Amino acid sequence: MLQVEALLAAGIVTLAATLAFRAWAWRAARLAVRDAGRAPSYIPSEVGEGRLPEPGSDELYVLYFTTESCTVCRSRQEPALAELSAVQVHKVDALAEPELARRYHVYTVPTTVVVGSAGRPLHINYGYAPAARLRRQLAGG
Amino acid sequence: MVDHSALRVNQAGIVTTVLVAALGSALTWKLTWLIPALALVLLLGTLRPELALFKQLYFRVLKPAGWIQPQPVQESPAPHNFAQGLGGVFLAIATALLFVFPVAGLALALLVAVLAAVNLFFGYCLGCQIFYQLGRVGLVRA
Repeated sequence: MLQVEALLAAGIVTLAATLAFRAWAWRAARLAVRDAGRAPSYIPSEVGEGRLPEPGSDELYVLYFTTESCTVCRSRQEPALAELSAVQVHKVDALAEPELARRYHVYTVPTTVVVGSAGRPLHINYGYAPAARLRRQLAGG
Repeated sequence: MVDHSALRVNQAGIVTTVLVAALGSALTWKLTWLIPALALVLLLGTLRPELALFKQLYFRVLKPAGWIQPQPVQESPAPHNFAQGLGGVFLAIATALLFVFPVAGLALALLVAVLAAVNLFFGYCLGCQIFYQLGRVGLVRA
């Protein structure tokens, strides 16, 4: 039947696209951990908004890439970040800081990076990351 | 200022219309006319916000009746309009395909509904990703 075939075709395309997106995100995160681990790991204090931990401190923080026009950032990501009250969130405009965005392989916004000691990225989330996931990543170190 | 409730009503309207058209076409093929109609609604709504059918339904009926609470967010409406226009363009292509290759036409319309549903339920917005990439190469002011 025509409708079943169309549903099947749409389902297969959706599945293939989802897998391709997951694979892309996995690859980008791996490259970002490699590149950001190699480059100078600190972030200049004049870049972005929010206080950064002192260089050499072991405090974890969240690096948050956004843009002026990103809608999911405002409607969902920022409320989720606000729930992590005990953690510093450093907000960076990905279009204004292309160098930094490239270092973390930011291909979509929002992107959130859990940064560990010595500025090493521990986890990278491309697209909306719920508060529970970020909390888990921060707890896992 | 953008009211996110209006956007969600719009997304829900797109999902419902496409599902009715695609599944209902098993009973009568006439229901596939809903697809070009929806394409027209989305494209007109992108050019003239006062012609956006589902948003007007929200602003004139659902909101005044108190059935849906407003959810205003301080931001630019440009990316939302871009996404809506993109949906309209894809539904117009789906319409053309319905005449020559009906399975592909229905499948493409269903994909537009899938993207609207993913945005509605999971907060993932493909339009946002496209908009960011276009902004990065300087094609739009993102």
